[in-house]
Amino acid sequence: MTLEESRAPIIQKHWCDDQSIKRASVVVVPAFARYLRSVASAEDAEPVWAAPQGGVCVHIQRGEVIYMGVVSTETAPLEVIELLEGVSQAIAEYIGQVSELTIKENFTTILQLLSEMVDSGRAVTTDTAVLRGLVAAPSLVSRVIENVSGIGMGAERRPDVNTSATPWRAQGIRHTSNEFFVDVVERIDAIVGADGAAASFDVSGDIECKAWLSGMPDMLMTLRNAQALDDVAFHPCVRLGKWEAERRIAFVPPDGAFRLASFHASADALECALPLHVRATASASGLDNTVEFGVEAGQTGGRRIENVSLRVPLPGLAYNIRVQCSAGAHTVSSTRAPQVDWTIKAIGPSDRAARLVVHYSVRSAAASADASPLPAASAASAAFIGFEVPGFSASSVKVDSLKILRESYNIYKGVRYVTKAGSFQLRF
Amino acid sequence: MTVGKDVSGLFTDVLKNMHTDDLEIKKLIYLYLINYAKTQPDLVILAINTFVKDAEDSNPLIRALAIRTMGCLHVQEVLDYLCNPLSKCLKDANPYVRKTAVMCVAKVFDLDANVAEENGLVDAVRAALSDSNTMVVSNAVSSLAEMNEMSPQHNVWRLESQSISKLLTAVNECVEWGQIAILEALADYTPKDEKEAENICERVLPRLQHANGSVVLTTVRLLLRYESFVRRADLLARFSKKMVPPLVTLLSSEPEIQYVALRNINIILQRHPRLLSKEIHVFFCRYNDPIYVKYEKLGILVRICSERNTETLLNELKEYAKEVDVEFVHHAILAISRVGIRYESAAKKAIGTLTELVETKVDHVVQDVMVAVAEILRHYPGKFEAVVPTLCEYIDYMAEPQAKASFIWMLGEYSEQVKNISSILNNHIESFMEEEDASVHLAIINSAVKFFVKQPQKGQTLVLKALKTATEKCANPDVRDRAYIYWRLMSADPNAARAVVLADKLPVEPVSVDLSPALLKELICELGRVSSVLQKPGSTFVYKSMEKAGVPLDSSGMGQDDAGDSEDGAPGASAAADGGAIVGGAGTTTAGEPELLISF
Repeated sequence: MTLEESRAPIIQKHWCDDQSIKRASVVVVPAFARYLRSVASAEDAEPVWAAPQGGVCVHIQRGEVIYMGVVSTETAPLEVIELLEGVSQAIAEYIGQVSELTIKENFTTILQLLSEMVDSGRAVTTDTAVLRGLVAAPSLVSRVIENVSGIGMGAERRPDVNTSATPWRAQGIRHTSNEFFVDVVERIDAIVGADGAAASFDVSGDIECKAWLSGMPDMLMTLRNAQALDDVAFHPCVRLGKWEAERRIAFVPPDGAFRLASFHASADALECALPLHVRATASASGLDNTVEFGVEAGQTGGRRIENVSLRVPLPGLAYNIRVQCSAGAHTVSSTRAPQVDWTIKAIGPSDRAARLVVHYSVRSAAASADASPLPAASAASAAFIGFEVPGFSASSVKVDSLKILRESYNIYKGVRYVTKAGSFQLRF
Repeated sequence: MTVGKDVSGLFTDVLKNMHTDDLEIKKLIYLYLINYAKTQPDLVILAINTFVKDAEDSNPLIRALAIRTMGCLHVQEVLDYLCNPLSKCLKDANPYVRKTAVMCVAKVFDLDANVAEENGLVDAVRAALSDSNTMVVSNAVSSLAEMNEMSPQHNVWRLESQSISKLLTAVNECVEWGQIAILEALADYTPKDEKEAENICERVLPRLQHANGSVVLTTVRLLLRYESFVRRADLLARFSKKMVPPLVTLLSSEPEIQYVALRNINIILQRHPRLLSKEIHVFFCRYNDPIYVKYEKLGILVRICSERNTETLLNELKEYAKEVDVEFVHHAILAISRVGIRYESAAKKAIGTLTELVETKVDHVVQDVMVAVAEILRHYPGKFEAVVPTLCEYIDYMAEPQAKASFIWMLGEYSEQVKNISSILNNHIESFMEEEDASVHLAIINSAVKFFVKQPQKGQTLVLKALKTATEKCANPDVRDRAYIYWRLMSADPNAARAVVLADKLPVEPVSVDLSPALLKELICELGRVSSVLQKPGSTFVYKSMEKAGVPLDSSGMGQDDAGDSEDGAPGASAAADGGAIVGGAGTTTAGEPELLISF
């Protein structure tokens, strides 16, 4: 079931018996819509909400669309959330930009998707590779022809089901050049105090692969520093036994882009070395505030930090915002939610610390009490930081070797590393 | 899709197009049939021929589609025609068709359990548990579980130990949703001996490393449920150790998943308080966490703090107390006092943190700090009273009765510490009638009496003034009675009054936020399910049990397309809650109207 921002359902699909359907659509959904309107913003609505009339609404918000499932019996809400997540991803992959308009335009496709993904209330598959085999994606060409001639194109290509032992890979794939690319993308989640020390520090990452290989290749990937990985979740194609026994990843890859593994680096193996040092000092005199930020490279193994960005949300009552910076560029938006954005293209390991100074004044709350009923912040207290360090791996995990078994051709291999800021916050 | 219009009149016309070759159109026609079959059960028979023909199509996709749609029609008339093709499809060479057929049996069972049993359909599903394809196996498990749920009296299926090993093999190979179904079934199974329990735990352990959070949580549920069957301490320790990293990983996913994970971690921690003490930093709140995640994190932080990490935690809580959200700040300050009360070693630091906070001079912070400090002082009598004079400087920031009462209580309790106590108390007595809350009145009387008992010369005029005001002007009988009692006590026997007023107080127990043991036990068994998230037993929200409790399912007076319209929805909702008094009246007009599957 999909709800739009305006709180009116766009699509509902039911899988259970009449009574529950009636109850769900007539009682629970409107109650949920009222509940959504009652909270300050939809993001603050509890994801699992028990309707007073019985039944439980589980919802997620992605973009402007809310995906909601009504649960009438004892089930796992996480299963519902994961399913909704799968649905949202599948829809996004099929129709691109998801909005009320595009959902309505691609109505039949989405309907077909939903009926393939869930059967009598049980999730069947959310793997888009499998779904592609079952439901044809809408294409511009077919739509044009349909509109012009009034004849459907569907009959030409009958999707078929792949039921081999490797449902993620079809038989008889051919590529003229065989290529396999690996991207190790790591994210640093951290909360940094004003003095630059990390209050919490966490590294997680994904091994993203792009495979264009012919036939049924069997791959074997060896990692260096594999013991640094604390919790690894693999794509279903990976043989877990091999990993448990030898710490090597053996798999038959799907065709195209896929996420081979996502991992979490263990805290013991990390020494909290932030690649970017950020500091802040805030001072206030009366209603005039000043915040000063300093940014310099940390431990990056001598690599440059690129696309550094710093976003400071200012209190809603801030005005007269003045900004100076020693490097990069800044923009100030003084709308209802004023904020300062600061971007620096690159910071080298030996560059001097870049500075940003933000001055702003705050209207006294009494003067604008009528404007906002909620208590407003009187000073900025956090900044969000983004950066990426190409070629650097924060968890020190490396792909040591990548072998191909069972197929005899040569493949072109490539491995890239990048460490990005995940949820990287500075508070002061 | 039909913009809310009833298009059942086109039924026969739609039927004519059924044998199209276009898969997409076929699917849409089937969808139409599912919607309107109930209104035109006689005409559905006309479609049967095509269905049966499609069920033997060369394309497995169409075979499966036909079977699935026939099941979804939910019409008694179709049943007789369905059994034959269904049994054929259960033995189909293509696993996609088989797994669809297996699910279809549950639908037939729902319609008529006897038909499903007599035609050997249920037996076929049981046999499918040993199918070569794991997708079929997992679907068979969910189908059987569903049938069990529909009618427990039929005793459709009990997991036997001989099928366990097959399921354990399947669980490691099938898709995530199948894994969940199998893990759920295993978690509800009662192992026959210790060895079997150990084996099952051992085999599902790799499932903890799955990207799908639900698989992880179901596995955790299984492990916790099996805990009582496994006796080897080393194994149990290993299982707990393995559980930690995946739970931590769940906390770096989307906020919705975090929320469910946090609610469940809260329950797990009540069983295993030490499980996550090392990971305290992952529960630190982020600036942009949704508020519901922040509250859960805060609760868990207090729960997992140990002697060693109180310092880190208190620093962290201090940061939260500077945030904007008043309610969150309130909880953060309360959490500081909880930590202080729980660990004596942390009490000093907690008081220090609170004094730092009071210096922010933000109204609501100061007020919350007063309450929090009073709680800690009450817990450690005679230890930290040096803080009271500092707090007196912030007397002007108080408006809330609770904060005032706490502050005045401290004045009376530690009157020796405060130099200008007579004038402060006097001010409060002067403004006695301006106060509205009885708790403040009581605190004033109490403190005045304490002050008098401790320093009779200084306090005499004050206490008389306080008691006079309270007995003569106050409307609240509680306050008046209390004042009279004090008055008589003091005039009858000043020594007795002293003994009563300054008696040693009973120690305060830290506020317990734990669930009752019975509920905890139930919720551990239901870990990862709705009840564990809501932290209420399942009977409070499941339709079926509500039905039993007399809440009617149907609320009438509903149009067919009003799901999005709150004005229409509201009376229906209240009707359901009130007991559905208008069900009969409107039933005649709406009962025949088809319920739309899709509405715009």
